[in-house]
Amino acid sequence: MRIKFSLLFHAFMIVICIIPILILFALSFSKNWAFPAILADHFSPIAWQDLFSGGNDIRHSLLLSLLIALIVACTATTIGFFISKTIAYHNFRRQLLFLAYLPFVLSPVILALCLKFYFIKLSLAGTVSGVMIAQLIVAIPYSIIFFSGFWNQRVKAFADIVNTLGGTNMLALTKVLIPLAKPLLLICFFQCFLISWFEYGLTSVIGYGKIQTLPIKVYQFLIEANIFYAALSCCLLIMPPVLLLWINKSIFLKRLY
Amino acid sequence: MLIEINHITKCFSGKPVLSDISLKVDMYETLSILGKSGCGKSTLLKIIAGIEKPDEGSILVKGIDISKQEPHERNIVYLFQEALLFPNLNVFENIAFGLRIKKIEKKVITQQVSVMLERLGLTDHSKKMPHQISGGQKQRVAFGRALIINPPLILLDEPFSNLDTETRSQMQDLYKKVAIDFHITALFVTHDIKEALLMGDRMTYLQDGKLKVYDSKQDFMNDEITGAKKEISFWNNI
Repeated sequence: MRIKFSLLFHAFMIVICIIPILILFALSFSKNWAFPAILADHFSPIAWQDLFSGGNDIRHSLLLSLLIALIVACTATTIGFFISKTIAYHNFRRQLLFLAYLPFVLSPVILALCLKFYFIKLSLAGTVSGVMIAQLIVAIPYSIIFFSGFWNQRVKAFADIVNTLGGTNMLALTKVLIPLAKPLLLICFFQCFLISWFEYGLTSVIGYGKIQTLPIKVYQFLIEANIFYAALSCCLLIMPPVLLLWINKSIFLKRLY
Repeated sequence: MLIEINHITKCFSGKPVLSDISLKVDMYETLSILGKSGCGKSTLLKIIAGIEKPDEGSILVKGIDISKQEPHERNIVYLFQEALLFPNLNVFENIAFGLRIKKIEKKVITQQVSVMLERLGLTDHSKKMPHQISGGQKQRVAFGRALIINPPLILLDEPFSNLDTETRSQMQDLYKKVAIDFHITALFVTHDIKEALLMGDRMTYLQDGKLKVYDSKQDFMNDEITGAKKEISFWNNI
């Protein structure tokens, strides 16, 4: 009875996850879909062909989003890992950790509006580097908070053991601490990647509309009522989370059976 | 004289934990430091290992002042309450860790680790990961990891406190044997009076940041503050 319920639950969850994705894919292959028709007049791979041939600028947005998200994720994970260590063993741990929560007090758009002045002054507004820095303002504190639970007296004791066995701090880091933190580093990298990948508010305000990442593109297509290209952009946009779900599902099923 | 600790003082948030601690340890001697939880025993060992910095005082090993040296330069190994084996390395690699740091030839490492595994009765477990062995075996691996680099001084911070009574007794016997075989000089910290007497060649008692060094075990047992008399009287009256 319990197994049946579990199977039903999984089937229900799979349907809930897959149906919206299928609809998006169908839309990205559609042409001339007019209300009240349930399906489009006909289907065509033209939007996808344009993506691969470079006939539209979605490919540019895809590559730009990938570049920004990868750099932001790598930087935020690395910096967050080390800053969180410093904070964890600092006398003012609580106060410093409180500062890491500040970027999350405001919504990203309001935060961007507050920071816009400084970005204009520093000639960073409307540039890729400006958008990356703006996203890092959110991603680094996230990473710091994420790793704050990792650093404890036990982890410190591991580093101390390496030191007393004759190893330097660098050796303790490379041979013991990083292998210990490896699963967390991977998760944090992926989370920071997703933060950057879906980021809209900060990117649109700091990027001035000049930095056309995929989320910006999706909104642009929606405003233009170009639902077929919007669907195509959405398909590309949801690929990383789908991949994450797939990986999680594999791990989950392995644990279950 | 192997180690000489002179006037070590340490305060945390203005509160003195160690006040003017001085002691001397001879070669191949195990010195027991008995004291209640939180009396500063671990802090003293951490200062000797270089993990903590003292506010005042000096530490001399074979006449050389090591107070300013970094922990990795001191060649003094610290053994924690928990074995703390590196979870990403198997038993063999955990023991070999110190030798790999010193970039010793692979052949020599294999040979030395194999000998150590045999002496500690761990040969059958060499390929196992730390989570696959028992608490006692983990502590033996931790011993092996420390002994293999042949340090002049080993600091043992209640290394058997997490073990059950039987395993603890076995480990105490093993330590006594290993201490003779490997000519170990050690500071053995414990809050267990019986263990302190069993492990130590000489006795000390740490209370309120002050360390009292006893000339003989009899002096230690006669002193009221150590609680040895109470312990003996308890067992006599039971």
